[in-house]
Amino acid sequence: MALALALALGPGRVDARVSVAATTGSLGGIVEAVGGDLVDVTVLADPSEDPHFVDARPNLVVVLHGADLLVSVGLELEVGWLPGLERAARNPRIAAGQPGRFEAATALPKLLDVPTGRIDRAQGDVHPGGNPHFLYDPRRAAEVGHALAQRLAAIDPPNAGPYVLAAQRFADACRALGARELQRFSALAAERKVVVTYHASWVYLLDWLGLEAATTVEPKPGVSPSPAHVAQVLQVVRARGVRVILQEEYYPRGTSETLAKLTGAQLVLLEGAARSGPGQGYLAHVQRMTEQVHAALSR
Amino acid sequence: MTAGRGRPHASYVQHDCKSKWVAGTLLTLGVSGPAYASDPSPDELKALEASLRADSESRPVAAPAPPTPVGPALDLALILDVAASWFSDDADLQSGGHDPRGTGFTFQQLELSAGANVDPFFRFDANLVFTTFGVEVEEAYATTSALPGGLQVRAGQFLTRFGRANATHPHAWSFLDQNLVLGRMFGSEGNRGLGAEVSWLAPLPWFVELSVSGIEGSGECCARSHASAEALPVETPADLVSTVALKQFFPLSPSLSLLFGASFQTGPNASGRENRSELYGADLFLRWRPVGSPNRFSLNWESEAIHRRQQVPRAVVTDTGASTQLVAQWTPEWSTGLRGEWLEALDEDPWAQGEARTRGSAQATWCPSHFSRVRLQLNVDDATTGSTNAPVWGAMLGLEVVTGSHGGHGY
Repeated sequence: MALALALALGPGRVDARVSVAATTGSLGGIVEAVGGDLVDVTVLADPSEDPHFVDARPNLVVVLHGADLLVSVGLELEVGWLPGLERAARNPRIAAGQPGRFEAATALPKLLDVPTGRIDRAQGDVHPGGNPHFLYDPRRAAEVGHALAQRLAAIDPPNAGPYVLAAQRFADACRALGARELQRFSALAAERKVVVTYHASWVYLLDWLGLEAATTVEPKPGVSPSPAHVAQVLQVVRARGVRVILQEEYYPRGTSETLAKLTGAQLVLLEGAARSGPGQGYLAHVQRMTEQVHAALSR
Repeated sequence: MTAGRGRPHASYVQHDCKSKWVAGTLLTLGVSGPAYASDPSPDELKALEASLRADSESRPVAAPAPPTPVGPALDLALILDVAASWFSDDADLQSGGHDPRGTGFTFQQLELSAGANVDPFFRFDANLVFTTFGVEVEEAYATTSALPGGLQVRAGQFLTRFGRANATHPHAWSFLDQNLVLGRMFGSEGNRGLGAEVSWLAPLPWFVELSVSGIEGSGECCARSHASAEALPVETPADLVSTVALKQFFPLSPSLSLLFGASFQTGPNASGRENRSELYGADLFLRWRPVGSPNRFSLNWESEAIHRRQQVPRAVVTDTGASTQLVAQWTPEWSTGLRGEWLEALDEDPWAQGEARTRGSAQATWCPSHFSRVRLQLNVDDATTGSTNAPVWGAMLGLEVVTGSHGGHGY
């Protein structure tokens, strides 16, 4: 039976797992969910690292050199560190336009914060293609999973079935989580559903759960808060009775802590990306985030 | 960071095609499907098929995305460096071509950096430097992008990969002026020239890169150990300035990294027939960057030493130079650094360039964003050539602005 199976799979496929490099932990989690034991995933950014500013350590060049597939978020989230690594990796399989290069953003029909009109750096770090933090919404992750399965199927045709099936299971779980949490958050009183975020990275989570961002601690994306802006944020927090400030743990905390102390709002520090390992993964990460946010909002 | 170039909106996945195909694969799965972590039971299969159908009905079906409206991407950036400086002595002790000099203002440089993939096989990169006197092609080269076996070839005008600092441009430096070792061993512009380079990423579990290059030494600016005033004629490969460099990287922990390099260079020198100069270099970059530091704190220690051996008429002269610097990045906006440099005197100096030097520098940098920085630097230079023989003090205030699309720098 084992022999027949090995023959059916053909030579070279028995042990040949698809080697995938994923830029962020959350993408890595999606690749794990879709690829299962058929893929070997390496995440380039540490989960506690800001995905805009990953340290381009040369060991990542070695990872990319051996990769069959490079999975990135896109929308210029990784523009500051990934292109140099790709060039140094000398791997034509993962060059732009090849099957081995997958940008998750291309799987999404609708993105948020897509700038209209002229873009200028005086506006801060504006992403011309739209806000790249869409993996905080599991419904969008479901779409990414489907597209990723197609890509894995193209790279590894004998296993197309399992990829597509796993993506469907993953998408079902994502949508179930999405619907469940939306219902739970809908039960919150309207005045509780207002938050302040540090960076404009929570728009997709807010969009999903029906929350509203009153303002951001950063005056402009990627620009550190100035005293005048913080004074304004303070006014907004007080005027709107905001109870929660959301930020990833990799952003500076001083300003948010001060705001929290002055207003009695709660600063909620969230992990920016999924981790790998038992009990971890993409869905566990999103679930943890919603638990934290919900607990803070209903306090 | 790029902000100017448009990017197409995401396109729909063609779900209508996919769902039919998925159903087909599902049917065959139970019979001959490969071993997979958890094959579904017939009931699960039915449920999955039902959810697939429901999904494909509920999701919007879009036409295929139109062709991308964006033209071929050419990353273009303009980088301006200007400085004001004061020195306690009139003697010009700065050795870099773009260093702040004397008391007053210095137009350090305006760099135009351009890069793009030419086709699936080549990439193009150029750095043109504008000074108030004209334009200089600092670098312009093509790099292969599809060679097998971890190989990469560069051809054109480029900075050689000798050591750590040489292959970098002024706007990648933590200090406002070129380090003295580069000035002494290579010249005011660093070691560069027209030639070709082959580099190889070794198939090892850690990063090992070996590069070999041959360039025409092009004079006082760029290969002064070899061709002092003008380029020497090239008749055989031995007349080229040849460089071999080995770089290794060790991620000692998630937070601590070590990059180590060893370099060798050989080429003819201008002191007479068949006389050659050889350079031996070692460089080290130790970086501690605690992962998860909310302020992106890092401590960076960079050191580089070069030993030179030159054949001159009836003798061999040797000298050594070293520089070391420690830069702390406290927050994304603030960093400070200390640098020490030391050059050995040449006993018998054939080029009138071999005085002993010791220089200490301290700098503080404020970066309002990734695209601008203001630096204040103090130098104290124990040069024996100053008019008073006393240490020469210098203070510099530099402004750098970057516009356009300019990617991150190498590690």
